[in-house]
Amino acid sequence: MADEPVQRAPSESGENGLKLMTRATYVKEAALKNLFMLCAVVAVAAVVLILVFIGARAWPVVDNPGLRAFLFGTEWSSSNDAYGILPLVTGTLVITIGALLLGAPLAIGTAIFLSEIASPKMRAIVRPAVELLAGVPSVVYGFFGLVILRPIMADLTGGMGFGPATASVILAIMIVPTVATLTEDALGSVPSGIREASYAMGATTWQTIYKVLLPAAKIGIIDAIILGMGRAIGETMAVVMLAGNAPQFFQGLGEPISTVTSQIVIDMGYASGVHRTALFGLAVILFLVSMSLVALVRLLARLNERRT
Amino acid sequence: MIVAGCDGGSATQKVIVTGSTTLMPIAEVAAEEYHKQHPETDVLVSGMGSSAGIESVSNGSSDIGTSSRELKDEELDLGLVDAPVAYDAIAVIVHPDNPVGELTTMEVRAIYAGVITNWSELGGPDLEIGLVNRDEASGTREAFKKIVMDDAEFDRGAVVLPGTGQVRSVVADVPGAIGYISLGFVNEDVRAVAIDDVEPSEDAVVAGTYPIQRTLHFFTLGDAQGATADYIAYVLSPAVQDTIVRDAGFIPITAKEAVGG
Repeated sequence: MADEPVQRAPSESGENGLKLMTRATYVKEAALKNLFMLCAVVAVAAVVLILVFIGARAWPVVDNPGLRAFLFGTEWSSSNDAYGILPLVTGTLVITIGALLLGAPLAIGTAIFLSEIASPKMRAIVRPAVELLAGVPSVVYGFFGLVILRPIMADLTGGMGFGPATASVILAIMIVPTVATLTEDALGSVPSGIREASYAMGATTWQTIYKVLLPAAKIGIIDAIILGMGRAIGETMAVVMLAGNAPQFFQGLGEPISTVTSQIVIDMGYASGVHRTALFGLAVILFLVSMSLVALVRLLARLNERRT
Repeated sequence: MIVAGCDGGSATQKVIVTGSTTLMPIAEVAAEEYHKQHPETDVLVSGMGSSAGIESVSNGSSDIGTSSRELKDEELDLGLVDAPVAYDAIAVIVHPDNPVGELTTMEVRAIYAGVITNWSELGGPDLEIGLVNRDEASGTREAFKKIVMDDAEFDRGAVVLPGTGQVRSVVADVPGAIGYISLGFVNEDVRAVAIDDVEPSEDAVVAGTYPIQRTLHFFTLGDAQGATADYIAYVLSPAVQDTIVRDAGFIPITAKEAVGG
């Protein structure tokens, strides 16, 4: 399925111009076709190789500590030889949900503003600013969070300011560009006839947005949120700097917590034996989660096609 | 892993040094000085934690593994040769405004085990203790655990930070925080408390009275050869021991021998 569009384009032009094409042109066309196919194959091969490699390294988890102890164990501590991922998975979940609760409304609001309300001049300022947010390296977000946000959160939540509260707020800002850009695309792809019909019926801007545009773009917006979720789950550097990295269950917004990604980074440098295997197991879990998110987006896209 | 070129031109040899972040100031500054004197040799230093250093030198990825802890039992038969390069004390640090000026080893253990959770239990203000711990790759954590914690477990709820500098800046910033770092990294932003009535200082370490102290090591796989041996000899020479080691806040390995300790 992946190479279908690559094949179609050259063969169409080939049919049209077959008689006029010199041999040199034909060779060049064929070479280019194969080159582009090779590019596509490399990408697919990379995904397969990564999955096979980390899968093979993670496989011994099944014997030691055992699938049950690994998936449902409540303690992650290399000094006790305990590798239960539940505290890390719930940590990732808490921080991601927090980031989505704060970030998604912010991003959708930004997208509505850009697509429906802003004047072209305003849009020329806001859109590059949002895109710039996507370009800021995550270590810079982490540093900003550590120096500026953490002391504020420490005052608000008690404790030292390391924990889900700080990490979620920073992640919320980090997912805004992803969610806002995709939401804006979704709103933009609503046929303008629908929009005009709503205004013609005497609806106000707000009524048009929440009664007509948001329902029409619903699936696109859910897509945007899912991809933002993927970004939040996978984010590592900023989370390592802000979450406090204590592999314990959620104790409160201001209490340290660890996530799947940050635990991999913290332990990676020195892990050996079962510990290393367990880290590869964590990587497999992350891989499966992002695969299912992508699959979900695909499924929604198909539903959307069927509907329209 | 020594790459010797045949042309004898500019830098043709590499000595790769990996390991403890605690030892970075010594290994790195000494590497620069060594390169100035021996332009044909590049000494590449990186800090990834003591355990990473030991793993890296045993599997041949590095020429020298630096470590701020002793070898563990399972690491004893890897064939590593030890060159002690300096002494260090681990200082227990608190916010400069914290009135608690001294703790016993037992109290520090109780704090890190999560038994004592408020400074008022130690004669301080009614302020929750903010525990700052290092990651498990850290040699400082390993040494602290061995010397202070005995068999007690660290409180699982402590904030885990992956670097000495981060521990210091967080403790400097949070009134109730407590952390531990190398004596060499203590500055005016934080205050080191006396342990068992002994202020952490070079004299106390040399005299052996400060309880939380350790030896810093360079490990090689088998006896050091060529440029690696030469670099280690340079680090152990007075030129480095009396200047770079001391400037970094550590205590020269020669200091104890001088007083017959």
